[in-house]
Amino acid sequence: MDAGTPTIEARGLGITFRGRDVLVDVDLQARAGEIVMIAGRSGGGKTTLLRAIKGILQPQRGHLSVLGAPPRVDGRADPRIGFIPQQLGLVRAETVLANTLTGACSRTGLLRSLLGRFAPEEYERAHAILDQLGIGEYAQLPVRMLSGGQRQRVAIARSLMQQPSILLADEFVSQLDLVTAREILEVTRAIARRGVTVLMTTHEVEMAREFADRIVMLQDGRVAVDAPATDVDVARIREVLR
Amino acid sequence: MTSRLRARRRVLLVVTALAFIAVLAHLGLLDAGQLAFGARNVAIFTRDLFPPDPTVIGRVGIAILETIEIAFAGTLLGCVAALPLAIASSEVAAGPGSARVMRAVLAFIRTIPALLWAVVFVVAVGLGAAAGTLGVAVYSAGYLGKLYADAMDGVDPEVIEAVRATGASRVQVARLAIIPETMHALLTQLLFVFEYNVRASSILGFVGAGGIGFYLLGYLQSLQYDRLMTAVLATFVAVMLIDALSARLYRWLTDA
Repeated sequence: MDAGTPTIEARGLGITFRGRDVLVDVDLQARAGEIVMIAGRSGGGKTTLLRAIKGILQPQRGHLSVLGAPPRVDGRADPRIGFIPQQLGLVRAETVLANTLTGACSRTGLLRSLLGRFAPEEYERAHAILDQLGIGEYAQLPVRMLSGGQRQRVAIARSLMQQPSILLADEFVSQLDLVTAREILEVTRAIARRGVTVLMTTHEVEMAREFADRIVMLQDGRVAVDAPATDVDVARIREVLR
Repeated sequence: MTSRLRARRRVLLVVTALAFIAVLAHLGLLDAGQLAFGARNVAIFTRDLFPPDPTVIGRVGIAILETIEIAFAGTLLGCVAALPLAIASSEVAAGPGSARVMRAVLAFIRTIPALLWAVVFVVAVGLGAAAGTLGVAVYSAGYLGKLYADAMDGVDPEVIEAVRATGASRVQVARLAIIPETMHALLTQLLFVFEYNVRASSILGFVGAGGIGFYLLGYLQSLQYDRLMTAVLATFVAVMLIDALSARLYRWLTDA
């Protein structure tokens, strides 16, 4: 997708869960090739916003357009939207390669899926992605044997197999040490350069400022700050996070 | 503990004891004359069991082998049927609507013991081990289906959500996420049910469904207790061997 093309547009988005307003009147725009960090305190609505964009949750109010249409809530998920949950959601007993190939499900027929045999070109693609991410040598290892940073890369590889236009990542680097977190964010930056919109939630403000193009702060489900990362007022962010 | 709670427990204890005595009396287990008569019979029966008759060991051995074959084939056939049934009965794999209906189907299958399923198949396919194998298979499908569905419902929902998010269908999610995540439980429960089925298959012959049960019942009814003892001892040895093999396999699987 050409850089700068709008991919996500939310206007007046609202979600109420068990009587509590989790998202209130949220406006958000993201473009191809842009990295947007959604920051805020725990329970501030960050994960809910990502899940609404992915089509896991149905917004009750407002308008949401993802890749030109409302997200698909029923039936099979849209593979153009990659989604990495907080705990990564990897099949730990399976190998790195098997987890990566899962990203090709939407292009794979039922029989091949049941036999666990993907098309030869999918194997080639998966190996190429794993090599790019620096974990090609671990392809045949079970995921449970990998370190946190390596698992993170497997989750990215699975999403890249989907050939996504949007990548959503929930608290992506919060459980990693600083060095590994920076490495993973560098990988994410390279993905965005290919024209993929990256939306990540975080509560690491300093890192968000360094790696994001734009920072959106959520406070009690409302957008408190929406500004280019370089223009963000750190004092204001600290106030929101306090 | 409060005094009220203590009083409640005392009342429960007394009521349970009285109910127990009443039930024993109703079952004839407090009738001294009947008990004495029974003890005499047991003494005669025990005396006639020894020494076991070794001349029948050949036919008994073949029948035990058939019993193990029935359990083996029945368990595996049941497992093949149990997998799709379990997926359809798992809330995380198939959704709550399907899970409710299919769990009721599995409960119905389990309500009928393997012996009665064997009777059904004796009627359907005739006397012999085929009927026994099908009976064991149907019961195993119900039993394993429930165990497997429970294991599948224990899979981390985030794993399922992440795989579903790739655009995978329900069947793909089951094959590529749920089954691998539960594989260890699926295999250990399969071993457990196989062990159980070896024991259950030893009485299928009572209804003409093959295996050692045919000889157990025949020797019992014709009062050939020495031959019965040979069959019982051979069954015991076979069951112990299967248990030992199973335990070794289980360790091998869990150590990996």
